[in-house]
Amino acid sequence: MKVELLAPAGDLEKLKFAFHYGADAVYFAGKKFGLRANANNFTLEEIKEATDLAHSLNKRVYITVNIIFHDEELEGLAEYLQSLDEIGVDAIIASDILVIKKAQELKLKLEVHVSTQASILNRETALFYKSLGVTRLVLAREASQEDISDIKSSTNLELECFAHGAMCTSFSGRCVLSNYCTHRDSNRGGCAQICRWSLLDEAENTFSMAPKDLNLIEYIDKMIEVGVNSFKIEGRMRGIYYIATVILVYRRLIDATLNKTITPGLKKYYLAILNRCANRDSTPQFFHKLPGVEEQYFLGRDEYSNQDFLGLVLDYENKTNQVIVEERNYFKKGDVIEFFGPNIETFSYTIDKMYDEENNLIEIANHPGMLVKIPINKQLEKYDMMRIKVFDKQLFL
Amino acid sequence: MLVNEKMKNNYLVAVTSDDVLKLKVKNVNFLFPIKDLSVGFLQEYTVKDIKTPNSYLLVNRLLDKEALAILEEILKEDLRNIAGICFNDLGVINVVKRLAPALQLIYLESHNTTNYVSINYYLEYVDSVFISTDITEEEINKILAKAHKPLVLPYFLLAQIMYSRRSLLTNYQSVLNLPNKNQEVLKDSISQEEFLAIENKYGTVFYQNKYLDYRKINHPNILFRYINPLTLTLEELEKVLNNQELDIPVTTGFLDIKTYYNLKEVERL
Repeated sequence: MKVELLAPAGDLEKLKFAFHYGADAVYFAGKKFGLRANANNFTLEEIKEATDLAHSLNKRVYITVNIIFHDEELEGLAEYLQSLDEIGVDAIIASDILVIKKAQELKLKLEVHVSTQASILNRETALFYKSLGVTRLVLAREASQEDISDIKSSTNLELECFAHGAMCTSFSGRCVLSNYCTHRDSNRGGCAQICRWSLLDEAENTFSMAPKDLNLIEYIDKMIEVGVNSFKIEGRMRGIYYIATVILVYRRLIDATLNKTITPGLKKYYLAILNRCANRDSTPQFFHKLPGVEEQYFLGRDEYSNQDFLGLVLDYENKTNQVIVEERNYFKKGDVIEFFGPNIETFSYTIDKMYDEENNLIEIANHPGMLVKIPINKQLEKYDMMRIKVFDKQLFL
Repeated sequence: MLVNEKMKNNYLVAVTSDDVLKLKVKNVNFLFPIKDLSVGFLQEYTVKDIKTPNSYLLVNRLLDKEALAILEEILKEDLRNIAGICFNDLGVINVVKRLAPALQLIYLESHNTTNYVSINYYLEYVDSVFISTDITEEEINKILAKAHKPLVLPYFLLAQIMYSRRSLLTNYQSVLNLPNKNQEVLKDSISQEEFLAIENKYGTVFYQNKYLDYRKINHPNILFRYINPLTLTLEELEKVLNNQELDIPVTTGFLDIKTYYNLKEVERL
């Protein structure tokens, strides 16, 4: 099996961007039984549209059916699974044993993957799930290089690992802080993220225990070596700029690793791009060592809103050599910006002139959604993106 | 292992200190947190330490490769006083069936045994299952009525509400230059809920800082009534077993409270 890049898809637009920027597969939830109960999620019609689109691009779709069921959710599960099967989704991602068993009993064509919520860390647990007929395991984020290697050699199952994005403080699936503090059930999609709130100890010291994000750029080669088949990116609630940036970076990293053109400098450059795009620091967490104080936040910190995303390319007019950009954040004449996209080498450009929709010369673009025309002699494609230039790639190489 | 009527309705008491072993009550089986394989306890035991017949091993860590090797070694020891094993990681099933098939297998996980269908699927592989602490009394009774084998009821315990592989106490104490304590009561600044946090080198467990008191639940399909007397004195533990009132804060948890997860649905209601 080839190495897969698996992207989150919070809605159809994000799904399209994920595929456009290089994802091999996407995962998302339907309206029921998923752990992002308060996201938009997909209707069955949207799941069909997404699946048809994916298959037309030779890509895959996985649906999360990963809540822990109470009695009240039992009704309708079999029909829902049958509908997903009829639509032709490639797999479901399940956590509760009843979903795994039900899929087998219904003799569905779709694959069953075990969710990270099952906290799989060792070969015997992996073999238990293999005996239930699953084809892929999404391992616990706490799995080390040695654990992953042992599971792979013992089971030969497909292994999927989270490579990037937010983490729980707890083993996923083993936390009900939200239930106790807010009555919102974390294992049915209502998590209030209590682990990111402030705590007081007996001496009234205030601190938090939130983990920094996960980022496994440094270990992509090692992960491929020990048998990871799928690199999963977290973030179904994130916007298209985040999805495009992160997916493109991992796409290029995985490809460069596989064709042996990866260099330490290139990794550092990609790491800088990712760190800039996220709103939290990130570290490799558990893959190479047990995390300590450097992998958590303890005291108050500011999450900042990233405003690097300046515009989305809607068209390129060959006749006038102008790119038409839909503005997302303020920019002005004289700014040094860069364009990136799946089919171009990222390049920088100083805005010399720009025009509004009626071809009036303008100095600033300050209305989200406004169309701006920028003369530029490099061909760009629809859905390429324009951002502030922060890093000079050459300085990293 | 087939369960007969005599084996049902006993108490399963976690040995949280040597004092617990002084209990003079009939129908008690002891559950020993096992060294290197358990989390959330201040006292741990080796198999050699266990002198009471019909005792149970508590293996509540999620096991990595190294822990799996430790478990395999323990199961090769003299297990004459051991009746069964209560575990959190499903990988334990295969190991026990291979190395110590006479042991009773009890799946002791608090959060994913929330409906009878899932529990009956787990019961295809194990002898009993611990009922979740996250559900209502109505749900518990339905589970007990429909389970194919007798179950373990949370009876009187601090409910485990979070389990992290991280050294959460050591880490914050180190950053704030505080003396190291492996047990601490923490309070959420918004909800004011208190948690008892206990850390060992394999991770940190948070418990709700009030005892869940489910002593009113009664049903013929109970194998064990589970008691975890983490902070109780022997006298208080005896009162629990004698169904007497205690002078400590208790709660009935979610017995009468339904949790929710869809915020739009809640707004609509």
